[in-house]
Amino acid sequence: MRRYGRLVVFIAVLIGLATLILAFQNIAVGDFERGSDNRLGLSLGLDLQGGSHLVYQAALRDPDTDEILDVSEDQMEALKRTIVRRVNASGLGEPIIQLLGSDRLLIQLPGVTDPDRAKSLIGETARLEFKRRSSNVLVDLDQFTQEDIVSVKAGLLPDLNAEILPTTSLFPPESATSTAGTVATSTATSTAASSAAPTGATGDDPLAPVAIMVEFTESGAAKFNIVLDRLADNLIAANERIQALGVPPELAGGLSNPSRLDVTVEGTEQLRFETISILPQDSPTTFAILVPPIVDSDQLPTLEEVQGRLGDDPKIFFAEFQPFADEDIGLTGDDLARAFPSQHTASGAPVVNIEFNDKGTRIFAELTQNIVQKEQEGRGVDQIAIFLDDEELIAPVVQTAITAGTAIIQGPGFSLERVLDLALKLEAGRLPIPIELIQERDVDAILGKDSLEKSVVAGFVGLGLVLLFMTLYYRLPGVLASVSLLIYVGLVLAIFKIIPVTLTLSGVAAVILSVGMAVDANILIFERMKEELRAGRTLLSSINIGFDRAWPAIRDGNVSTLITCAILFWFADRLGASIVQGFAITLAIGVGVSMFSAIVITRTFLRFVSTSRMSRRTHWWTPSGRSGVAQQVAAPVGQRS
Amino acid sequence: MDFVGKRGRFFLLSLAVIIPGVVFLAIAPGLKPGIDFTGGSTLTIGFSDPVDQSDLRAELAILDHPDALVQKLRVVDNEDDVYFVRTKELNDDMKAALLDGLETALSPSGLEELSFDLVSPVVAAETVVNAFYAVLAAAVGIFFYVWWAFRNVPSPFRYGAAAIVALLHDAFIVVGVFAMLGVVADVEVGTMFLIAILTVIGYSVNDTIVVFDRIRENVLTYPNRELAEVVNLSISESLGRSLNTSLTLLFTLMALMLFGGQTIREFLLVLLIGVVVGTYSSIGIASQFLISWEYGDFRRLLRRRSSGTSAAA
Repeated sequence: MRRYGRLVVFIAVLIGLATLILAFQNIAVGDFERGSDNRLGLSLGLDLQGGSHLVYQAALRDPDTDEILDVSEDQMEALKRTIVRRVNASGLGEPIIQLLGSDRLLIQLPGVTDPDRAKSLIGETARLEFKRRSSNVLVDLDQFTQEDIVSVKAGLLPDLNAEILPTTSLFPPESATSTAGTVATSTATSTAASSAAPTGATGDDPLAPVAIMVEFTESGAAKFNIVLDRLADNLIAANERIQALGVPPELAGGLSNPSRLDVTVEGTEQLRFETISILPQDSPTTFAILVPPIVDSDQLPTLEEVQGRLGDDPKIFFAEFQPFADEDIGLTGDDLARAFPSQHTASGAPVVNIEFNDKGTRIFAELTQNIVQKEQEGRGVDQIAIFLDDEELIAPVVQTAITAGTAIIQGPGFSLERVLDLALKLEAGRLPIPIELIQERDVDAILGKDSLEKSVVAGFVGLGLVLLFMTLYYRLPGVLASVSLLIYVGLVLAIFKIIPVTLTLSGVAAVILSVGMAVDANILIFERMKEELRAGRTLLSSINIGFDRAWPAIRDGNVSTLITCAILFWFADRLGASIVQGFAITLAIGVGVSMFSAIVITRTFLRFVSTSRMSRRTHWWTPSGRSGVAQQVAAPVGQRS
Repeated sequence: MDFVGKRGRFFLLSLAVIIPGVVFLAIAPGLKPGIDFTGGSTLTIGFSDPVDQSDLRAELAILDHPDALVQKLRVVDNEDDVYFVRTKELNDDMKAALLDGLETALSPSGLEELSFDLVSPVVAAETVVNAFYAVLAAAVGIFFYVWWAFRNVPSPFRYGAAAIVALLHDAFIVVGVFAMLGVVADVEVGTMFLIAILTVIGYSVNDTIVVFDRIRENVLTYPNRELAEVVNLSISESLGRSLNTSLTLLFTLMALMLFGGQTIREFLLVLLIGVVVGTYSSIGIASQFLISWEYGDFRRLLRRRSSGTSAAA
């Protein structure tokens, strides 16, 4: 009796909880919010309740003219797949996502009537790109041939009042890349100050800075001007990056360094240096390239030294030294399966998890292997730069070759907000083409409100018939089973609300099936009980034996259904059949609760009642019209306690 | 009642339903895929007169669009009743006929075509194929579970195999019936059908296992009795439960069919057929399959056929 008592309390608490959950249409405890506009606050699918109706227009624009470009069928399909994935990941139940015409997308989201929520879910931003950021890259400017150059002479800069661009150090020829580490610490601003020192020197002053005067042909000068513009832009960008980082330039690493012109002059002796100090001269085709101090000495070279190296017929070659270079590797947001914030398993620090699809996994594996190999060979530490619409999100270094397609991005200063924001932006960037919202409406249930209201009433009629049948046929146990069935329905709905499960017609099918199985479990138990009563056992032992005998059938039936659910869910998840998945989840919940309802709730009720006075009314316990049963249950049982 | 002795009749009865179903499946168009799978056209229509969703659906059925999906759009700045209609692919003539028909029947003051587009399928056709594979995988899982759960009785794997046979039997009957309805009554199948089939399969397995449980118990209680006798006894003993369980489900489904909305009737029809067939197959197919295997019916059948062919040669 005490054990049943405890169970009764447990069941009562469950019923109370379920009632509370369903009684309040909207529940909000801290961050935990559940509820919707219908009476029980259940999340209902598009077929049952309706939701948002959004029409998006593909808006792939020409970067120059801003005109909308045509999109291909493949691009639209890719867009649809991405959005399907994204909406499914949000757990919003089954959306309807269809292509409209050749360049529009219809999205219906169940239950969402808040347009901002829907929009943030779909995201409108476009292009996420992963690029390989190589450090210390020397790019030959082979567009310059010797035909472009008229003459190369050493000369003193006549007038340094003109604005002078800073120089860096002079390299011995073989160390262009390997000494890059020292280059990285000298910065645009600091060298500008030191190299500006000789300001005011006159043409005859031996201390005046020496420059190499290069006279180009007209076409050569045009090409050289393009290079100079690029270097100037790069210098400005480098300064902006430093300011954006908010750290001293020495800590900013390669990001703080602008690209430089790498100049090699082959004369009697090779002269090679990097500089960004290039001054246009009076003639538009002549440029003065300032020669920086020779390595290991702060002294600027003298005119004689430079002339000595140049000799009579010097040849000049240009290259561009880039502290870092981003290289397109064909890895975009379309290859990213998902990105989500989580915690580092060991340290608990916030990190961002990223997962690639098959193609992405392949590219990413190759990329990380290359980077690690390069690092091991001492050729510099490359990064993976991630851009969203050409804005750099983050450029992590690679710690190990990653071949499994899943990686985490971690950083020393990662806060929870930073991680959330980053994951959101990565997710947002998975759209293969940009889209614009062109229509936004609320939409009614597909199955029709009128039709559904009728169906709900019909469902209650059906349930009522079941309860009536059970009561008439099985008498008192039937009444108890009916009560436990009602509790069952309440528990299932409460669980759906709490998780929350978006209930669609497939969910309703699963509920009907699981109600059927719950009824079946009760019927199995009662049939067995009846047999035991007929065999002359006492009421309590009939109940116990009836349960024991019915249990294997209930267990195996339900377990095989749960196995079916698990396999359907797993397959549907891999194959992207979200309706099948929804069915599997709701059925699994229904079956789990149905087992609990039959075994715990009905059983406790029966035992509880069998110890009460009702146990003496033997004809309450057996189906009508069965003779030869009543007299066998002679002694009232369960009174011993 | 002697169930086991009539197993030949059970098998013939099932074949009599399955074979025409398979024939209808094989000949075009077989199962008629609905617009969920094929895509079609969408129309957004603004009606000047107030129009009820159910009236619109009924009128569309009259105008030869019985499977059209109709959703009301709530538009803030528009007094008209605006509906979003998805139906089979329309050419200009069909669209004009549709709009004229609706205008005449529902909105004499006029209607406005707000948008007209081709629309892609909601559910890719491969979803059906994928669901099929998922069901196959689930069948394998069930086979192994039943085999394990019946490990204490002789030849436990036969129970697993019999459960799968009953499952396939039920699925084939329901799909076959719908293939026939597709040809005869132009019934189309959509995602609802897919879900209904999954539900039927779930019910079928559960029901079969309940009957098998009784056989398991009786085989262990009466180890010396003939299997045929034990199976017959088990079916008789569990008949009350089988009938009561399926009756309760049929009550619910009938109530929904009779009083419920029009939109889920096709779905309920699948479930209704499925419950009847699922209950029947546990007794008439799954259990009899065990007997036939035990007594070598299949071997005899094969031998008879092979001896027939050798005699002919």
